[in-house]
Amino acid sequence: MQLRLPDLSEGAEDAVITLWHAGETDRVIKGKDLVEVTTDKATFDIPVPCDGILVKIFKKKGEKVKTGEDMAEIQEDRS
Amino acid sequence: MLWAISRNTAALRMFFRKDTVKICDLGIVGYEDALHFQDRLLRRRIEKKAPDTLIMVEHDPVVTLGRLAERNSIIDGDYFERTGIPVVPSGRGGKITYHSPGQLVLYPIVDLGEKKRDIAFYIDFLEKTVSRGLNRLGVPAGRVREKRGVWIRGKKIAFIGIAVKRWVTFHGVAVNINNDITPFSYMHPCGERDIRVTSAKEWAGREIDMNTARKVFAGQFEKDFRDEYAEPASKRGIDDNAVKIA
Repeated sequence: MQLRLPDLSEGAEDAVITLWHAGETDRVIKGKDLVEVTTDKATFDIPVPCDGILVKIFKKKGEKVKTGEDMAEIQEDRS
Repeated sequence: MLWAISRNTAALRMFFRKDTVKICDLGIVGYEDALHFQDRLLRRRIEKKAPDTLIMVEHDPVVTLGRLAERNSIIDGDYFERTGIPVVPSGRGGKITYHSPGQLVLYPIVDLGEKKRDIAFYIDFLEKTVSRGLNRLGVPAGRVREKRGVWIRGKKIAFIGIAVKRWVTFHGVAVNINNDITPFSYMHPCGERDIRVTSAKEWAGREIDMNTARKVFAGQFEKDFRDEYAEPASKRGIDDNAVKIA
């Protein structure tokens, strides 16, 4: 599953990745904070969308990200 | 516990009314204590166990560094060491600012997820409601195109830095009412060079009654929040599932 930057505002501005709460190969749990992005005046915490393994981070801390852009890939647990 | 963190119990008030927003006035408290209080309320709001709430507070003197603050935002670090003003990191958006008694800080803990999921719209809303509050205090402040915060004749009077978790807001806006603005001259507030800062007191040439200011801003926030956000998302034509991750 790709983790994408959600639409934070109409006419959205770029955001910057300011904090990853987990690293590649870490197990992640649905609902926990995964990544913090920051716009000019706001920080926004994005939660883990599903239980699984964080296999790849595409946008590292300090990099800019646009709405809809992939930030990471999570290998979802098979139930 | 709320009662334990306020040294100014006379100013401590919680009004539970059947309005859209509860008002919680903490009086004068340290930045860290207010942060813990916000955090607890934030979690309760996310769990739908607390209502939308406006926290009003004045802080002991402190410099806070938002997520995007640069180290060179401080012009004279010695000044803050000499005066014993701590410099602390903060998880809010924005860059560097200063808080002290006489500055009214508004921390709305409100759930935008049930309303309008738009951060820029929310920041616009904060700027408008603070501008109106200042206008009611006789200070003709307003917004400036392509600049954040609230301004009066080229000088900044209110500073915004927010955070959002699960579409519930925390942190907020600081409004210079009667506070000493000298420390702002030892930094680049909001990371902007050559910025000039003012206060309601400086503009009016007299002290503003803080209790009056509290009532004005609480009333203005309640009214504006009701006007802008009271309708549930479904009535605004917003699809609750529109913002999905993945």
